[in-house]
Amino acid sequence: MVIKVLEIIAAVIIALVIGIFFLGLFRKIMARIQWRYGPPIIQPLLDIFKLFHQKGFSHGIIFNLGIILSLAASIVLILFIPIGGLSSLETSGGLFVILYIMLFKPLGIALSGGEGANPNISIGISRRLILSLGYEVPLLLILISVMTYYKTISIVEIVNAQSNFQWSLFSPLFLSGLTYLMILPAILEIRPFDIASAPQEISSGPAVEYSGRYLALYHIEHAFSLFISIAIFVDLFLGGGANPFYFLLKMLVVFVLGVFIHAVFPRFRTEQAIRYLWRWPVILAVAGLIIILVIKARYG
Amino acid sequence: MYLQILLLIAFIGAFLTYLLGKISSKVRDIFAVFISFVLLGLTAFLYSNFSESIFYLGFFNLPLILRIDMLSWLFAITIAAIGTFSIIFSLSYIKGKERTDFYYLMMLLVNAGMLGIVLSGDLISFYIFWEIMSWSAFLLISYNRGPALAAGMKYIIMSIIGSVTMLIGILSIYTNYGTLTISEIAPLVASASPGYILFILIFFFITFGIKNAVLPFHTWLPPAHSEAPSPFSAVLSGILVRMGMYGFLVIFYVILGLKPFLNLGHGLLSFNYILAWIGVINIVIPTFIAMLQNDSKRLLAWHGVGQGGYMILGIALGTNLGVAGGIFHIFNHTSYIALLFLVVGAVEYRTNGMRDLNSLGGLIKKMPITFIGALVGVCGLIGVPLTNGFVSKWLIYKTLILEGSPFLAFGALIGTWGTILSLYKFIHNMFLGQLPERYKDIKKAPFSMQLPILILSFVILLFGILPGIPLRIINAIGTSFGLEPLNVNIWGIASETGALNTVNIFFAILIASIIVWMLLRMGKKSIPVSQKDSYAAGAYIPKEKYHYTVEFYNPFYRMAKPYLRDFIDVFYSIIVKAGRKFSGMVRKVYSGDLGYYVIYILLFLAILIIIKMGLVLW
Repeated sequence: MVIKVLEIIAAVIIALVIGIFFLGLFRKIMARIQWRYGPPIIQPLLDIFKLFHQKGFSHGIIFNLGIILSLAASIVLILFIPIGGLSSLETSGGLFVILYIMLFKPLGIALSGGEGANPNISIGISRRLILSLGYEVPLLLILISVMTYYKTISIVEIVNAQSNFQWSLFSPLFLSGLTYLMILPAILEIRPFDIASAPQEISSGPAVEYSGRYLALYHIEHAFSLFISIAIFVDLFLGGGANPFYFLLKMLVVFVLGVFIHAVFPRFRTEQAIRYLWRWPVILAVAGLIIILVIKARYG
Repeated sequence: MYLQILLLIAFIGAFLTYLLGKISSKVRDIFAVFISFVLLGLTAFLYSNFSESIFYLGFFNLPLILRIDMLSWLFAITIAAIGTFSIIFSLSYIKGKERTDFYYLMMLLVNAGMLGIVLSGDLISFYIFWEIMSWSAFLLISYNRGPALAAGMKYIIMSIIGSVTMLIGILSIYTNYGTLTISEIAPLVASASPGYILFILIFFFITFGIKNAVLPFHTWLPPAHSEAPSPFSAVLSGILVRMGMYGFLVIFYVILGLKPFLNLGHGLLSFNYILAWIGVINIVIPTFIAMLQNDSKRLLAWHGVGQGGYMILGIALGTNLGVAGGIFHIFNHTSYIALLFLVVGAVEYRTNGMRDLNSLGGLIKKMPITFIGALVGVCGLIGVPLTNGFVSKWLIYKTLILEGSPFLAFGALIGTWGTILSLYKFIHNMFLGQLPERYKDIKKAPFSMQLPILILSFVILLFGILPGIPLRIINAIGTSFGLEPLNVNIWGIASETGALNTVNIFFAILIASIIVWMLLRMGKKSIPVSQKDSYAAGAYIPKEKYHYTVEFYNPFYRMAKPYLRDFIDVFYSIIVKAGRKFSGMVRKVYSGDLGYYVIYILLFLAILIIIKMGLVLW
C-alpha cells in the first residue's frame, strides 16, 4: 500500500518535472534554430512560481472548476500510463479509460473558457474541438490497430508484449506507428497545428482570460499533456521502458523531433488541418489496420 | 392477479385524472402524481415476484397473458420512474396551458400502454398495448398544434406502417403454429427453417426499427421530439422509443433464442453482423448531423437516434459483454436523455419557449441547478468516466476489440467525438458565454422542475461510480438469455482481459481535484470580474452587438454541410411528392362531374360488350 502511494507520487512528480523541462527545452531549441540565445531552461518553472504570486481575474465558479478538472484529469491520466515500470492504476479499464479521461482536458478548458465569454476564447475552443475531431479519427484507428494486434485493451499488457526490443514500430504495426508520428504535432498542438492557441491571431485562444494562478495551472496542465501524449506513443510503439530512465530517453528523442517540425512549419488554417488529418493519416491508418487484420487472419 | 391490478390502476387512474380535472385542477395534479407514485411503488415491489397468468380467455380462443420476468421488470421500473419524473415536471410546465386534463390523460395513458407492453405475455396483448401507446403518443406529439401537427402526422404514418408489418408477422406466426403465447412460440420458432425465421425477423424488425428510429426509419423522430411538449419529449426519447429495443430483445433473445439468432446466415452475411453494421451506421451519421442543428431539442433528438445505434450494436453482438452493454445503455440513455430534455424544458419554460441555440447563452448564473443537470446529462451522453454512459460504452467497445471487429469499434468510438462537439455547443450556447440583455431578469426554474433534474443527475452519477448495482440485474437478464455470466462487482467488472474499476477512477479524480484545488488556493487570491471585463487584444468589441456562440463550428460547417444532410428524409419527401402528384392525376379523372361518370360507365360497358363479342370490332 505504502509502495503504491509512493509509486503514484513518484509518477506524478516525474511527469511534472519532465513536462516542465520539456517546455524549457522547447523554447531553448526554438531559440537556437532561430539563431537566438534563448531563455534559461528553467524559465517555465520560474514563470509558474511568478504567476502563483500574481493577482489573477476570475469569471465565476465554472471558470475555476473547469481548469481544476482539466488539470486533475491530466494527473489521473499519468497514473494510467506505464512510465518505465511505474503504472499505478493499470487494472482500472485500460486504453479506453485513457482515451476517455483524455476528454476531460479539452472539456474542462472549454467549460472554463466558455464562462469567460471572450470572442477569442470562443474561436479558440471551436478550433480546438474541431482539431480534436480531426486527429481523433486517425488516432482511434491507430489505437484500435494496436489493441487488435495484441488482443488486449490493457496498455500494460501492450508494453509487456514489446519487451526485449520487439517494438511495435518495427512489427506489422509499422504503418500505425508512422501515422501516429504524422499526427503527433496535432495532438501536441504544435505547429503546423497550433490553430487553437494561435498567439498572433486570437491571442492564445482558450488561455486568453487566464491570469495569475489560473495561468500557472494552465501551464502545468500544458506540461502534463505534453508528457502524456509523448508517453503514450513511447508505450505503444517504442516498447515503453524497462526503467524510467530509458523511458525518458525515448521520450526526449520523440520530443526533439516534434520541436523540429514545429520550427520549420507555418500554421495551417482549420480547414487545411482537417483536410490533412483526414487524408493521408487516415489512409495510412486504415491500411495499417487492414494489414493487421490480414496477419491476424492468416497467422492467428 | 397482481399484474392485472397494476394495469387496471394505470388505466383507470389515467381516466380518473381526466375526470378529476373537470372538478379542480389542483386535485387533478395531486392525483396524477399520486397515481404515478403508486405505479412506481407497485412495480418496485414486483422485483423477484415473477409470475405468468392468463387474464382473459375468450379472444378467438387465444388466451391473453400477463407475465413478468427480470427483463420486463427492469423496463417496467424505468417506465414508472420516468413517468413519475415527467408528471412532476409537468406540474409547472403545463400549468396555464389549454387542454391540460387531456394532456395528463394522455401522459398517464402512454405510461399505462408501455407498462402493458412489457408485461404482456402473448403477442395479441402486446399488439393491443402497442397501439394504445402509439396513438396516445401521436396525440401528445401534436399537442402544441402548428408544426407539431405535421410532426405528429409523420410519426403516425410511419407508426401505422410498423403496426401493419407487426400484424403480418403475428398472423403468420398464428397460422403456422396456432398459438401466440410468447413462451409457447419460442421453442417452435427456434426449430423453424432459416428462411421463415428471417421472414418473421424482417417484419418485426421494421416495426421495432420504426419505433426505435433505426436508419432508414428514423425520419419521424427529429420533428416529433422537437415539437412535443418537453416532459413528453423526455418520456418519448427516454423510454417510448426504446420500446423498440424491448421488442428487439424479446424477438431476438426470448422468442428466437441466442443460438438460432447467432447462426442465422454465416460470415459477413450473418444476420447479427449486418445488424451490428446497421447499429454503427446509426451511431455515426446521426451524431454528425446533430452537430449542425441549432434547435436544442432537435439536437438531442438526433442524439436519440445516434445512441440507439450503441444499443443495437451491443445486442447484435450476442456476447455476454455486448448484450450487457446494450441493455445497460438503454437505461443509461433513458436517464440522461430524459434529464437533458427536462433541462431544455426548464429553459424553455423560463425563456418563453426559446429553443434556438443561437439566441440563448449565459444562463448559468440565472439557473445554476439546471446547469448542473445539463452538465451531468451532457457528460453522461458523451460517456465521460464516472457517468453511467461510460460503463455501457466501455462494455461494448471491449467486446468489439476482443471479438476482432475493429471497424465496428472505430465507428462506435468516432461517434463519441461527434457527440462531444455537438453537446459542447449545446451546453455552451445555452448556459455559458454571454447572457443576452432580454434574459437579464430571468428566474431560476421552479422546484417541481429542479427535483426531477436533481434526482436524474444523482442516478447518472451513482450508476456511473457504482455500476455494479444495475449490472447485477442486467447480468441476470443475460444469463436468462443463455449467456455466460459476467464477473460483476459493485465497482465494475473483473476480467482477465482488462478489468474496469470505476471506484478507483472516482477516487483518483477526487483526490487529484482536491490536490489541484489546494494548489489553486496556495496562489494569490483572484479578483472576480464580470464577463464584460475581458481582454480582446486591444480591439474594441461592442458588447451588445455580437453573440459569440452563433455558428460555433463554422470552419467545420463549411466543409461538412453538403455531406451531412438527411438524405433519407429527402428521399421520402420525393416519394411523398410523387404520391401527391399521382393523386392529383387521379383526381383529374374523378372530377366529380356527373357527365364524366356517365361517360366512364358507357365506355366501360362498351369495352365489356366488345370483349363479350370476342374482341371483334366489326
